[in-house]
Amino acid sequence: MSETAPSSQRLSPLVTVLLLIGAGIMLMPMLWTLLLSFKSNAALMADSGSAFMPPWTLENYAAIFQGSLTTRWLINSLIVSTGSTIGVLVLSSLAGYGFARLDFPFRRTLFVIVLLGLAVPEQAVILPRHQLFAMLGLHNSYPGLILPSLTGAFGVFFMTQYFRAIPPELDEAALLDGASRLTLFWKVLLPLTWPAQATLGVFTFLGSWNDYWWPLISATTSDYFTLTVGLASAQMNYAQTSGLGFLMAQAVFASIPILVVYIAFQKQIVRAMAGTAVR
Amino acid sequence: MSGLELIDVSKSYGATRVLDGVSLSIAPREFIAFLGPSGSGKSTLLRIIAGLETLDSGEVHLGGQRIDGLAPGARGIAMVFQHYALYPHMTVRENMAFGLINAKVPKDEIASRIAQAADILEIGSQLDKKPGQMSGGQRQRVAIGRAIVKQPRLFLLDEPLSNLDAALRSRTRVELAQLRNRVDAALIMVTHDQAEAMTLADRIVVMNDRRIQQVGTPAEVYARPANAFVARFVGSPAMAMLAGRVISGESGRLRVRLAGGAELQTAVAAAGIAADAPVEVGLRPEHVTLAPPGSGGIAATVELVERLGDRTFIYTRLAEGSEVIACAPGFSEVRPGDEVLLAIDAAAAHVFSADGTAHHPEASA
Repeated sequence: MSETAPSSQRLSPLVTVLLLIGAGIMLMPMLWTLLLSFKSNAALMADSGSAFMPPWTLENYAAIFQGSLTTRWLINSLIVSTGSTIGVLVLSSLAGYGFARLDFPFRRTLFVIVLLGLAVPEQAVILPRHQLFAMLGLHNSYPGLILPSLTGAFGVFFMTQYFRAIPPELDEAALLDGASRLTLFWKVLLPLTWPAQATLGVFTFLGSWNDYWWPLISATTSDYFTLTVGLASAQMNYAQTSGLGFLMAQAVFASIPILVVYIAFQKQIVRAMAGTAVR
Repeated sequence: MSGLELIDVSKSYGATRVLDGVSLSIAPREFIAFLGPSGSGKSTLLRIIAGLETLDSGEVHLGGQRIDGLAPGARGIAMVFQHYALYPHMTVRENMAFGLINAKVPKDEIASRIAQAADILEIGSQLDKKPGQMSGGQRQRVAIGRAIVKQPRLFLLDEPLSNLDAALRSRTRVELAQLRNRVDAALIMVTHDQAEAMTLADRIVVMNDRRIQQVGTPAEVYARPANAFVARFVGSPAMAMLAGRVISGESGRLRVRLAGGAELQTAVAAAGIAADAPVEVGLRPEHVTLAPPGSGGIAATVELVERLGDRTFIYTRLAEGSEVIACAPGFSEVRPGDEVLLAIDAAAAHVFSADGTAHHPEASA
């Protein structure tokens, strides 16, 4: 044992083959999408099997930037996802700090009420929310798309638990060092929650990026479509005006930002999945 | 300038009283140890001085100024925490600078204070490391450094040696002793380790049961314990306590009959203690030795033998059930189970009344 690598890092050939097959199955649709996106629509109309053979073309990608709304939807998605992520991080951190560290009346009761929010499914509130937003004139606006995600209870719960895990001696040391509550929060505690911020941020961003239902309800003009809604709307005229190749190019284009997020935050995502995000 | 003054400080958590009317006066450059068992209130008292706990009643003054209403950072106090409480995401330099930046000390002054403290503590090469990259002993030095740079009027040390291994502990003890000579401030150390308190402190504050039991120099606390608790708590191995009754006062000195029947002529003044009053006789190990066979000592059975090299502690039990610890020079050959005779230096015995009040032997003329 002492000279060889730990057994967990050495896979038997059988396991390797099984993993390769699994990875192949997962990758197949993506490779297929990628291949189709490089074929002209006309060629695909004749035979989608032609994707395996040249000639390949970039005309579908060029079309995205000419006239189509895909770029606009991408920007909408970026604005909405980034806005939601920043909002959730700010609110959850402040609320988490408050619940974990400050002593105020009805703290426990309020925290229980926040936790109850975890038990209310979105479906149960979507109609009243729709009516409320209609009354306030928030539909077809960025605030209308961002605000609902800020009320999520999970972030508050997650950050509260994380702040609780930080030794209170650090607060005391900072208070003796003459730090104000704000300095203590900003300079001492918040930097220590970076792993939690990264995990919560990535999941909020991905969740918001992939959200379909609320943008579908709230955004009724194509100018405020997010990518998910926009692509779905484009799918409806598939094979009539845009064509399969163009649709696939849109899908590839739409997944680039998400790919970047995954690659940049791989470590946090894996850690969060493994359930060790909080020490 | 006056040092720290505690006036009638009391504190409760809900219905539980943790400090009861504590008053104490500490000189400006004095090194004080709060010594007591867990739950004695010593840590709470330290935290009240630091401002990390509020007091229910009483006053705290430092340097002539009342500080119990001030924020912790405004009291001119620095604290070294038991688990160091270094900011993990900051370098050593940033850890030490943090308090000074908050106090708006000029940058070049911060740099020179850090350089000076790093020099004293020999951590100059570690300034750009983070606490996670350092050993326990080094972190301890950083924590002390962080306190030094603030040039406080009072240092508070919460069990400063408890996280160190034995070798490092004795070295750090020496360093703490040197530290007190270098800083112009009073030091208060909380500890439950009496060896720390005895070796470092100018005066020891023995605490138990929410109150101060005794304040005195290490020698006073050891040789003239104020009551039975202090007598038992200070000294290692602990003082043996033998139940007995006063039988008479002879030439003004108490004579006590022990439960086992033996009589001891003590050097304790008899005044104020009634004949036949129940008392306890306290004997330090160094005042009990093994008597040669047939010499008429008190019979006892050896239960445990602690050989320390230069001397041996022999834990024995008398027939009536009390434990007495004897001390023998060098390596003693006695074994557990042996029957021995104990010679008691009765002139050194302390006597404690039923209420715990101590009566000390008077020096023979």
